[in-house]
Amino acid sequence: MKKLLIISSLLFCQLALAEVAVIVHPSNNNQLDEATISKIFLGREKSFADGQSVVPLALADAAPASSAFNDAVLKKSSSQLKAYWSKLVFTGKGTPPKEIGSDEEMLKLVATNPSVIGYVDASKVDASVKVALKF
Amino acid sequence: MKPIILANKSFRSLGLVLVTALLPATALAEITLNGFASIRGTSVSSDGGLEPFPGFEEGELSFNPESLFALQAQADLGEGLSATVQLFGEGRSDFEVEARWAYLSYQFNDKHRLSAGRFANPIFHQSEYEKVGYAHNFSRLPKAVYIDFDFSTIEGVALDSQYNLGDYSLSTKVLFGGWSGESFSAVTNTFVDFGMDNIISANATLAGDWWQLFGGVFAAQIDGTSIDNSTVFPLAAAGISAASKTGATAGQIADFKSRIGWDNKDAFYWFSGFAIDRDNWLLDFEFVDYVVKDSTDAANQSWYLALGRRFDNVVLTVHTEDYAQSPDHDFLNGVAHPALLATGKGINNAFGQREFDGVGLSVRYDFHPSAAFKADYFSGTDTRAAVGDYKILSFGIDLVF
Repeated sequence: MKKLLIISSLLFCQLALAEVAVIVHPSNNNQLDEATISKIFLGREKSFADGQSVVPLALADAAPASSAFNDAVLKKSSSQLKAYWSKLVFTGKGTPPKEIGSDEEMLKLVATNPSVIGYVDASKVDASVKVALKF
Repeated sequence: MKPIILANKSFRSLGLVLVTALLPATALAEITLNGFASIRGTSVSSDGGLEPFPGFEEGELSFNPESLFALQAQADLGEGLSATVQLFGEGRSDFEVEARWAYLSYQFNDKHRLSAGRFANPIFHQSEYEKVGYAHNFSRLPKAVYIDFDFSTIEGVALDSQYNLGDYSLSTKVLFGGWSGESFSAVTNTFVDFGMDNIISANATLAGDWWQLFGGVFAAQIDGTSIDNSTVFPLAAAGISAASKTGATAGQIADFKSRIGWDNKDAFYWFSGFAIDRDNWLLDFEFVDYVVKDSTDAANQSWYLALGRRFDNVVLTVHTEDYAQSPDHDFLNGVAHPALLATGKGINNAFGQREFDGVGLSVRYDFHPSAAFKADYFSGTDTRAAVGDYKILSFGIDLVF
C-alpha cells in the first residue's frame, strides 16, 4: 500500500511538472515570448511578427499538456477558457483554436504548415518541428 | 468550446439545409456548429402579487421563463468571408425558434471585420452575449442593467476592430442599423409596437491581463406612433379634454401632444464600467444612462456592482443593483395651460414610477467541461405597489457545445 502511494505520488508529481513545448514549423524564425503566445491562443493576435498569418492549434481537453498550457500561458482553467470563447463565438468575434487529438497529430500538422503554432508534451518533441518556448 | 465540424450524417443533413440557405448551390463551405443552452427553474414571489419582470411567473416554480436553447452555424467561405445563422428559442416563447442572428462577415485584414445582416445590438457591455449563461457567473445578468430590452437584435452593418497596444488590447465596434418589434411598457404592463430607426452605436473595451475598462454610446430615432396612440395619448386624454374645456386652444393642444409624444424623438443610451479578475477575485461594475429625449420618458440611471471569489471550479458572487429613474419636466417648458402642464408632469412621473433595487447571491459550479450548475437568490424591492418586495430563487444548468 505504501509503495502504491509512493508510486502514485511520483506519477502525480511527474504529471504536475510535465513540461509543455510550444512548437512551430522549422522555417519559422519569429521570436515568440509568453505574452505573444498568449495573445495568439486567445485570438488577439492573428499574425506572426514577420506578417505571416498564424493558425493556433490546441490539444483536446483530456490531454495533460492542455491544462498545463492553459494554466501556465493563458492563466485560465478549461472552464474559464470556454466561458471566454463563448463570449466571442456567440457574438461572431472569434473562433477558438481547433482541437487536435494527440501529440503525434499535432507534431505532424505543425511540421507541414509554416502558419501553424501548437504545443505538445515536451518529451514528445522531435526534429520535425522547432521549439519556440517551453513552460 | 469544441466546434463541431459537420461530419456525421445527421449534422451533415442540417448543414446541407443551412448551406442551401446561405450559399449558391455550387459553393462548398465548412460548416461549424456551436450552441448554448440553459435549463433553469425559477421561483418568483412578490408582496404585491405581480411578477417583477415580464415572462416570470409569480408564485410558482417554473422551468419556462429562463430556459433557452440556441444552435449557431457558421459557414466559412474562405478568404475572410463567412455566414452565420443562430437559431434561438426560449421557454417564455414556447421555444418557438427564430433566426436571432443571420449575417455575413468579411474579415478584410487582421484588425477589421465588417458584418451585415441581423446581429446582436450591443446596447450595453454584455448585451451581445446576454443570453449565453455559460459566459458569465450569474443565473441572469443583473436586471437593473440587463432588463431584457426587446431591441436586443438589430438589422444593419457593423465594423469590429481589434488593436494590440503593447501589453494591452483595444476592441471597438461601430454600427448602423434599425429595429422594429414590440416593447414592454411598465406603465400599462403590456407590450406595444415600437421601433428604432437610424441606430448609431459605438463602443470600446480596453483590456490588460486582469482588467477591462469599457464604455459605449447608442443613439436612435424612435418610431413611436404605436406607443403614442396606445399609451401616451390615452393617458393624456382626460387632461387634454379638461384643458380644452378651460380655454386651451387647438394650437396649444397640438403643441402639447408633440411634446409628450415619443414618435421621431431621439433616444440616447450610454454605458461605462470596469471588470477585474485577479488572484481569483472578481469585481465588476457597470453604469448605464438612457432616455428618449424631449418626451414623457423618464431618464434612467442604473448600475450594478458584483464581487466574486473563485475557488477552483466554484465561483461565489454577491452583487447589488439599482434601477433608478429621474422624471424631468423640462420638456414642458413653454406649456402655459395649467391642466396640460399637470397632465404632462403626471405622465412623466408615471413613466418614471418604476424603480427597483436589491442584492443577490450566485453560485456557479463547473461540474463538467462544458456545463455549469448555478443557483441564485435575489431579494429586491420594486416601487410599483403591485410588486413591492420580491424574491427570485433559481437553479439550473448552463452549457455550451
